Amino acid sequence: MDKKVIVLMLDDEPIVGKRLKPAVERMGCEVEVFEDPREALQRIDEKTFDIVVTDIRMDEIDGIEVLERVKKKSPRTKVIMITGYAMMALAREAMEKGAYDFIAKPFTPEELRKAIAKAAEALGTPLQNSVTQ
Amino acid sequence: MTIIAISSDSYRMGREIGEKISKRLGYRYLDREILKEISAGSGISEEKLLKALEKTPSALGMSARDQAVYLAHIEKKVIGEFLKDNVVCHGLAAHLYVLGVSHVLKVRVLSNPEVLGKELAPGKDLSGDAMEKLIGRNENARKRWSLKAFSLDETDPSNYDMVISLNKIEINEAVKSIAEAVGYKKFKAMSYSLKCLKDEETAAEARTILFPRFPDAQVRANGPTVVVITKGMKREKQKKALIIKEMVGKIPGVNFVEVHIVNDILRQAAESLR
Repeated sequence: MDKKVIVLMLDDEPIVGKRLKPAVERMGCEVEVFEDPREALQRIDEKTFDIVVTDIRMDEIDGIEVLERVKKKSPRTKVIMITGYAMMALAREAMEKGAYDFIAKPFTPEELRKAIAKAAEALGTPLQNSVTQ
Repeated sequence: MTIIAISSDSYRMGREIGEKISKRLGYRYLDREILKEISAGSGISEEKLLKALEKTPSALGMSARDQAVYLAHIEKKVIGEFLKDNVVCHGLAAHLYVLGVSHVLKVRVLSNPEVLGKELAPGKDLSGDAMEKLIGRNENARKRWSLKAFSLDETDPSNYDMVISLNKIEINEAVKSIAEAVGYKKFKAMSYSLKCLKDEETAAEARTILFPRFPDAQVRANGPTVVVITKGMKREKQKKALIIKEMVGKIPGVNFVEVHIVNDILRQAAESLR
């Protein structure tokens, strides 16, 4: 049996995880959703994820800090940044610090699925159900 | 996928550097040769397109409306090429219309004053002072042109990621530095920057359609939505909005056109004085 791609999704807006989790699971990924960045970082310390999807602007801990923590712990993990405050300088900063992709909100579940499929392929674990049904 | 947009005070020097980088990186090279294709596709002569890239509109020369139309066609084609692959672009003002796209490395190349002086006044033996004045006039003309065409100062170093003076370093060193910089992670294409580029392409296409009739229109695109702001009289607002929606709505991929007509105070005042 193929190894499942393990994804952590972090966004302090509950609707984001609620809406995107089933869309990503349909791709054959195992998904864990967090709204609190501290809890997400604790989980990242315990478990190695293949892909981390994180919002950037959150209270207390921002997505750039999450990115740095993930890359320090697991350089192979692909981190996809999502934000409603997309600007060139922020996008460049995220990429410089090792983000795999950067997506501006609002985006469709399909856009995130595409980015996850690309990241999974780069990890050498292409997803079977990456194309929208 | 990365794009390098080169701007130079000397077309010859910018071209030489652009060609060398494209050869070194195996990227496609794009310059004013593409005007032939744009001319064939738009029906606008190559001469007019070139003029739009070089001359500031004037009462006796090209009108601001014509320049805006010609530049919109150039912009649309160039961005379309940028969306295809790795590209080095020079001489098409790309650094001014993809300023907010993070995977475009914008480079300004300042040529050696002696070389530039000879290029600007071929065959003339100018004194140091005369050459300095000539270069200064050329720089001011480019500044006026870019401010008029894109509301940006082409000569302002803060509009670039990298500024290289060929008075200080050799051409091959400049090529090496640019080729190295393009490998930085921050210039890597991502979903957001590709979307920005696609949005710019859509906006440019809308401008090619709107500018001949509404030259003052400001156009922005965000995915399938296009926002147009233009001036108009109160009584013509509704009609104008409908026309714009119909014109822009024909662009493939556009499913919503938002039109804002702001009061044309000058026309209103002129009419009330009649």
